[in-house]
Amino acid sequence: MTRSDLSCERRDGARRLCVVLAIVTACSASCREPAAVTRLTLSASALGGEAQLLRRQLARFAERQPGVDVELRVTPDAADQRHQLYVQWLNARAADPDVLQLDIIWTAEFAGAGWIRPLDRSGIDEDDFLPAALAASQWRGVFYAVPWFVDLGLLYWRSDLLPAAPRTLAELHDAALRLQRSGATRFGLVWQGARYEGLVTVFLEHLGAFGGGLLDGHGRVIVDEPAAVRALTFMSDAVRRDGIVPASVLSWQEEQARFAFQNGDAAFMRNWPYAWVLMQDATQSRVAGRFAVAPFPAASEGRPTAALGGAELAVNAWSEHPDLASALIRFLTEPEQMLERARAAAQLPSRRSLYETGALATALPIPIDQIRRLLDAAVPRPVTPVYSELSEILQVRLHRALSGQQAPAAALSDGAREIRALLARTGLAADSAPP
Amino acid sequence: MNRDMTIEREERRLARWFVAPALAFIVLGSLVPIAATGWEALYGHDLRLPWLGRPFVGLSNFVEAAADPRFRSALLHTAIFALITVPLELALGLALALMMHTAIRGRPLFRLAVLLPWAIPTVIGALIWRFMFDARAGVITAALQSVGAASESFDWFAHPLAAWVPIGAADIWKTTPFVAILLLAGLQTIDPALHEAARMDGAGSVRRFATITLPLLRPALVVAAAFRMLDALRLFDVAYVTTAGGPGTSTETLSLYAFVALMQRLRFGYGSALSVAIFLLTFAFALVWVRALGRSLIGDRT
Amino acid sequence: MTSGSAVARLASAALLVLLLFPIFWMLSSSVTPESRLFEARPLLPAALSFAHYRALFDERDFLIPLGNSLVVAAMTTAVVLPVAALCAYALARLRFRGRGLLLALILAVSMFPQISIVPPLYLILRELRLLDTYPGLVLPYVTFSAPLAVWLLTGFFRQLPAELEQAAMVDGASRLRALRDVVVPLAAPGVATAAILTFLYCWNEFLFALSFTLSPDRYTVPVAVTLFRGRYQVPWGQVLAATVVATIPVALLVVAVQRRIVAGLTAGASKG
Repeated sequence: MTRSDLSCERRDGARRLCVVLAIVTACSASCREPAAVTRLTLSASALGGEAQLLRRQLARFAERQPGVDVELRVTPDAADQRHQLYVQWLNARAADPDVLQLDIIWTAEFAGAGWIRPLDRSGIDEDDFLPAALAASQWRGVFYAVPWFVDLGLLYWRSDLLPAAPRTLAELHDAALRLQRSGATRFGLVWQGARYEGLVTVFLEHLGAFGGGLLDGHGRVIVDEPAAVRALTFMSDAVRRDGIVPASVLSWQEEQARFAFQNGDAAFMRNWPYAWVLMQDATQSRVAGRFAVAPFPAASEGRPTAALGGAELAVNAWSEHPDLASALIRFLTEPEQMLERARAAAQLPSRRSLYETGALATALPIPIDQIRRLLDAAVPRPVTPVYSELSEILQVRLHRALSGQQAPAAALSDGAREIRALLARTGLAADSAPP
Repeated sequence: MNRDMTIEREERRLARWFVAPALAFIVLGSLVPIAATGWEALYGHDLRLPWLGRPFVGLSNFVEAAADPRFRSALLHTAIFALITVPLELALGLALALMMHTAIRGRPLFRLAVLLPWAIPTVIGALIWRFMFDARAGVITAALQSVGAASESFDWFAHPLAAWVPIGAADIWKTTPFVAILLLAGLQTIDPALHEAARMDGAGSVRRFATITLPLLRPALVVAAAFRMLDALRLFDVAYVTTAGGPGTSTETLSLYAFVALMQRLRFGYGSALSVAIFLLTFAFALVWVRALGRSLIGDRT
Repeated sequence: MTSGSAVARLASAALLVLLLFPIFWMLSSSVTPESRLFEARPLLPAALSFAHYRALFDERDFLIPLGNSLVVAAMTTAVVLPVAALCAYALARLRFRGRGLLLALILAVSMFPQISIVPPLYLILRELRLLDTYPGLVLPYVTFSAPLAVWLLTGFFRQLPAELEQAAMVDGASRLRALRDVVVPLAAPGVATAAILTFLYCWNEFLFALSFTLSPDRYTVPVAVTLFRGRYQVPWGQVLAATVVATIPVALLVVAVQRRIVAGLTAGASKG
């Protein structure tokens, strides 16, 4: 090859490269241009029947709002992964998704960071939504999200071994002990004791049973008060002294607890409503048709408590179509759409009126009167932007106490101190000026 | 004489233009950002708590880091990982280079075996190794179980120490070829006549290796060790993909912790302080090696 | 050291197997049907199934990350080559003050921990709305791949006999003219190697891509593959298919020019 051949080759190559680059850049630019249709993006969970249901509902919305197309953006199912993705998008000020499905414990965090838009109070039926869910949708008196569906911590109990649900904590304890000792079941009671968020929800129910709490009405830390210590001592004794709760729960999440109850190994289980349908499947479950639910019972000083979980819908602060996004949220949280969701995905709606009418009775697998009692017992987790750090502190301390590494009183006192320090250094302490 | 000076001036002018774009990228793309990171490290900047603003906190981020047990463990993890894997990579790389150097047949196969792991993206390689070590599907777990070396349900990724093995394997697999290529270059500069002479004097292969090959290979070994050490200190990709720092934080490296602090916790001030710490650590190494390398690259003309 | 001894041959074979087995396993697993993926199976799959590949392109739309990686790598290479070539030529041929310092600087940059420049870069890109865009990635990519290209091309230029240019200059041509007529045509192999290495760097890069891209539309291949999430666990079948697809271009590239790459790297490494 001569010198000139090589240089010609190189020039041709360079020219070709430039052409390719130009085409590619042009394509990428044009691909991002919106068509005449306004495009909204909704980020929500699409587990099981949810995807089909949502697509149906979104199509209905598109019919109502001509010129609007809603795209469903699927996100990972694991809560912490979805949370991380949201944090990444919103922190980077991405304009989409326009509407986000938030876990109920994220709203305050996202609101405090300025990532979601305040919502117009007048567009929200404050009388109809569950008060506990509404409490979690606000931050500093402003609404930032609308409750969509709720989850409640329940006590599952073996209706073939007991005549009725235990009405007090003492009854629960005694029944568990009796059934275990008699050999009717291997374990008395099982719950989620791994070092994760689920443990905090279990603790919350025990707290309510003894009249304690994490933060009081003024936002002060009360998790080291006597009532809380009694609650944690009860849990710890159940595992370590009486043995009605097996030590292996310390590595269990929802599914492991469900397997234990489903195989007939436990007389009582604390879990979420999702387990009901799965355990009624006679091909997999040994307790199909032989269990019922009730709120977690209380001791004398407390009241039955159900930890509140669930999801809310919020508008991205950088959305380019905030009004349309709000309209989409109003649509999805309408009674009809919620009813459809209850039927298709067996999820509990967040509107109280739906529980009064008979419509839900056939839609949900769990008997409606049992659910009504649970709704009255619903308690949200602390509504604060630093809830995830707070929860982590609590998880570590609770787990230490339950595994015997620290006495309950000491664990809670250390935890309270750390939480107070957290609130102080983030300017969220009860007595500091509001952000 | 005049012509020389004009040429020299013209050369210098030309050089300035030629060097300018690269210099611009270096300055704007890394020097300015590094300085900015150092500056950011002096502020408290939590992107999730905008109401706290961005107050000047001086060195308190660094003080917090020094007392932070998670930072200290990350430092320990990173240092130990580097000290274990780098010698292994050097040894395996040397073995590979020797084989490639002396191979008569199968050279293309060697070249392939060397270049493929090196060319495959690091995260891809890490995923393959993660799959191979998987408790259920992993072929390595299965192989160990079949010879009885591992229990029924051994999960590498659930043990704080065992989780390092897949990381180390993935890293060594990916980087040994690079070391081998560097050392091969060194081997190829050794005059075969030296070996001939020694062989005629009756020296065995081991003796020749120790007295001729190793000493002459020292510069290349030093270069390889430097590059590998720096990469090991900066380890991110393999750790993130293989274990994400888990279980808990027991396989968290320095870069991974800084990434978590920055992009997941959004504590930009504190994360910047961590990044500065990592930078200083690698800078200390770089300072030593760059002078050695720079001198060798330019030669004696400066 | 002869290659005849049995020990040496055994060691060679073992090392080769160690290096090549993961690749083989990746290929073999990617064509194993999902149901057999998690059970004990022989090394060679009995029945081939391309379901994972189909799912990869139908459900996951893997063409998008492939395209993104391609575009970013092409853009970066297009910028790095001229920038690095000019700088390398100056370092190899021209006399100027601060040569040593520049070289030291270039080498130092390649030793920076990438995480150290993420915070300010993130904030600036966010301000300029360049997050989740191609240019947002190209800037750090150029900065971090240029050093290797400069290093490689400097060694390459130094190996070119200086007499050719000097002959041209003696004939009256200026330094620039000599550069254009003499050096550029001969630079093709070195530039090609530098282009390949730069392309490989971009294809490979993970941290910046992870930090500066947001939506699946803009993920590059490493990020997309890592973020595959299934319902309860990692969808290994599809992940492995993705790894194969991600590896093919670079594997082909490398195999096609393997001699050149090894020569290029060793030329840069040796003392010129």
